[in-house]
Amino acid sequence: MRHTARRNRLRRGGLVGLAVLGLVAATGCAADISTPTLTWYINPDNGGQATIAEECTAEADGAYRISTSLLPNDAPSQREQLIRRLASRDSSIDIMSLDPVYVAEMANADYLTPVPEEYIDEFTDGVIPSSVESSTRQDELVATPFWANTQLLWYRKSVAEAAGLDMSQPVTWDDIIDAAAAQDKRVGVHGIRAESLTVWVNAMIESAGGSIVENPDADGAAEVELGIDSEAGRRAAEIIEKIAATGVGGPQLSNLDENAAMLEFQSDSGGFMVNWPFIYPATKAAVEDGSLEQAVFDDIGWTLYPRVDEDEEARPPLGGINLGVGAFSDHPDLAYRAVECIRTPERQSAYFLTDGNAPSNLAAFDDPAVQEAFPAAEVIAESLAASAARPLTPYYNEVTGGIQKSWHAPGSVDPESTPARSQAFILEVLKGERLL
Amino acid sequence: MKAKVSNRQLGETRLGWMLSAPAVIILLAVTGYPILQAVYFSFFNYRMTDPDNRFVNWGQNYIVILTDPLWWQTVGVTLLLTVVTVAVELVLGFALALVMLNALRAVRPWVRTAILIPYGIITVVAAFSWKYAFDLGTGFVGTWLAMPEFDWFGDFWSSFLVICAAEIWKTTPFISLLLLSGLAQIPGDMLEAATVDGATWWQRMAKVIIPNMKAAIMVAVLFRTLDAFRVFDSVFVMTAGAQSTATVSFLTYNQSISQLQLGMGSALSVLLFLSVALICFIFIRIFKVDLAQARGE
Amino acid sequence: MSRKHTAWWIVISLVVAVYALFPVLWIVSLSLKSPGDVANKRFWPTAIDWSNYELIFTGSAQDLFLPALVNSVGICLIATVIAVVLATLTAYAVARLDFPGKRLILTMALAVSIFPVISLVTPLFRIWSTIGLYDTWVGLIIPYLSLTLPISIWTLSAFFRQIPWELEQAAQVDGATSFQAFRKIIVPLAAPGVFTTAIIAFFIAWNDFVYGISLTSTSAARPVPAALSFFTGASQFEEPAGAISAAAIVVTVPVIIIVLLFQRQIVSGLTSGAVKG
Repeated sequence: MRHTARRNRLRRGGLVGLAVLGLVAATGCAADISTPTLTWYINPDNGGQATIAEECTAEADGAYRISTSLLPNDAPSQREQLIRRLASRDSSIDIMSLDPVYVAEMANADYLTPVPEEYIDEFTDGVIPSSVESSTRQDELVATPFWANTQLLWYRKSVAEAAGLDMSQPVTWDDIIDAAAAQDKRVGVHGIRAESLTVWVNAMIESAGGSIVENPDADGAAEVELGIDSEAGRRAAEIIEKIAATGVGGPQLSNLDENAAMLEFQSDSGGFMVNWPFIYPATKAAVEDGSLEQAVFDDIGWTLYPRVDEDEEARPPLGGINLGVGAFSDHPDLAYRAVECIRTPERQSAYFLTDGNAPSNLAAFDDPAVQEAFPAAEVIAESLAASAARPLTPYYNEVTGGIQKSWHAPGSVDPESTPARSQAFILEVLKGERLL
Repeated sequence: MKAKVSNRQLGETRLGWMLSAPAVIILLAVTGYPILQAVYFSFFNYRMTDPDNRFVNWGQNYIVILTDPLWWQTVGVTLLLTVVTVAVELVLGFALALVMLNALRAVRPWVRTAILIPYGIITVVAAFSWKYAFDLGTGFVGTWLAMPEFDWFGDFWSSFLVICAAEIWKTTPFISLLLLSGLAQIPGDMLEAATVDGATWWQRMAKVIIPNMKAAIMVAVLFRTLDAFRVFDSVFVMTAGAQSTATVSFLTYNQSISQLQLGMGSALSVLLFLSVALICFIFIRIFKVDLAQARGE
Repeated sequence: MSRKHTAWWIVISLVVAVYALFPVLWIVSLSLKSPGDVANKRFWPTAIDWSNYELIFTGSAQDLFLPALVNSVGICLIATVIAVVLATLTAYAVARLDFPGKRLILTMALAVSIFPVISLVTPLFRIWSTIGLYDTWVGLIIPYLSLTLPISIWTLSAFFRQIPWELEQAAQVDGATSFQAFRKIIVPLAAPGVFTTAIIAFFIAWNDFVYGISLTSTSAARPVPAALSFFTGASQFEEPAGAISAAAIVVTVPVIIIVLLFQRQIVSGLTSGAVKG
């Protein structure tokens, strides 16, 4: 068999072999079994990652093939699925689309192959600092920033105008709560007992100059030090208390997630809302299919995340996806070549255009097509530059679970007791003295 | 006792066990072995993503659980949910059983079919249906009850009510079928005699029907109680444990599968198992439920 | 039968039908709403829209839904067949033979059926990841047997006890071989019971959620109930109610068909297995 002969030669001769493989691919034998298949576990999107996988497979010219496998919708379930496989030392996990908050935990458990020396500069130059930071564990780059997400302050121009707020200047939480309360409008936040609550609480604590976890590099669960019981924690609790007490959070406050907040914002009672950039395409789509009026769409504006204190810059939330390479992968080298292909600034801007997920590479924002499709692109880039990641601790799961338990429901938050209680509770959970 | 087991008897014993062996082995393998392993790991501090820090901490996990208010709170919620759903299902199931028994011949198959549909529906599907019906974003219930601003999943009692409603809807058919077979066993002449004696409907119910169905009722209640105590799917889908609606099963799942705390999760698994065994024991010893009848002997 | 009486029964039957079907109807209605219509807060869709079904069968959710459907059907059928075959052997032994330990077998089946699934899932997960059964069909079929075997053993034991086994001997006396006697006399008598048991076992396996979400991680073995929570809206943060409803309807249709066709058998199976002999 000619194919077999080719394959044998392949195994012996490195570069020559690759060239031959290219020939094999060209003659229509791309699925030749000597082409290693890399499995990329992706989070659900509009199909953009699957497209990138196809493009990179084609570009690899037979060096590898990328097949995708779908993870659940929400980040905690994605973590569960991946960790369960990794714990059983699954070699089929080559590339993973990771929520930044779980990078530290996976790195700590030795589930990730760190980024090889030769790629480090390429993967970090011109990349949003918080995105790089969230890919780093104890000064080692363990994952690759891919796309980055951040929340903006969305507002109804009519409401802001009526309140006399100059939205071209930074606004504070107090400004928008007062403005909404005066006009019987809403301030959309994420009060549901889920990850989005931690995103919100963390952004406020960071904006007030604090941090939920003081020593993210700590090694044991018992060594973790928290900064929730602090002035910053109390400021965050004050804002939540005010939103609940003034009623601007709306009746659904304790179940408000990103989608529910958007629906409220689009309704007549909409005033302000902090939310991810999907608001723009989603609202546009709603207008197109006739369920929303054009006037509502035209009334929507966006700016940077609200400040906690007037003269301290806000630290908006950071989301997105970092790419990790599994520690048990049979082809970590190929996997990193694939990552190199996936993360190019050009692909990041293309992905932004098709799936609405913003690049982590600042250069990708310069694409004129991006500027045109996303009027908010400039603000997003600015917000990303200022953004703060959630705690980069291997015990993030306990920390976020503890925050979600002790800061929910928003109506019960009390600046005097909540931060202290929350901190004590999470510390007990970390020591294994409390259930979560 | 026979002094000597006959050959025939020996052959029958061998055949009996040979035929039963595959099922028995599978049942033991999928329950006996895992539960022993759970008991073993319940004495460890063992977090799956932190395997280096695995060590034996003896009874520490059990002490933490049993002194944690969260455990007792979930036990309370689970018991409350069990009592409420089983009580309502018993009454509703009895009514449905009477309907099935007495319905006109022409409509009887249709009534039975309708009642069986909730039984066949996947619990998760039923939970989604009830969740979306009450949810402020998608639900019609708020509109129908003219309370569009009320968030059903916004506090404990209303969330609890919706979870109970979903559970009751889904599992009443089961209880009503068990009660139906109890009803069918009541001797007709006894009822006739009562009617001839001029007993009212209520009197017949209280003096003849219910006493004669006692065994069937107890078996139905036992099965549903054990089932209700293990409730998980509905809570998972509808509130994910928010508003303090977590049940014992949900807490266990959360510790072991979500948090990957295998040590603590195993201890919870063991406690959940013991709770179920305790309920079973109470029913059999105190209420004297005749399981021989349940086994069809 | 008085006319008033009949009218009453029609009313009662209608009430029962509404009770039983209302949540199903609601999911049907929700599945026919367009994405913009899902939040209309009314029972009925503004206009009937099939896009949710297109999404799960031909659209972007097909990679999620179709493998899950294949897994669900395949795994549940295999688990049902195995459970019924093994339970038939056991039930035959229990019903026909007299041997020490048969009460033990029935008690054990009872004990297994009250076992909390959540208690088993953590150790099973650990064992499966060690021996490589995690996220495979076999890895789900085995635990499904723990759900389906006990009830199958009871139901079949109850059925088999009612079979007049003397007929078998009578046929043998009449000159039939024992195999002929078994095939011609016993199989037709036992078949309805076996069939009914299979339906009930299938329903139980079909209903599973805990094993489905805990012991799988890819479309290699993930069944539909577990896949429901994987659906996503137009973006990560948008509610996928429509797609979930459509998928829910697809897995509910077979149940309704089975119930419509075999309601009598299901009722007799459920009642005989659990209560009377």
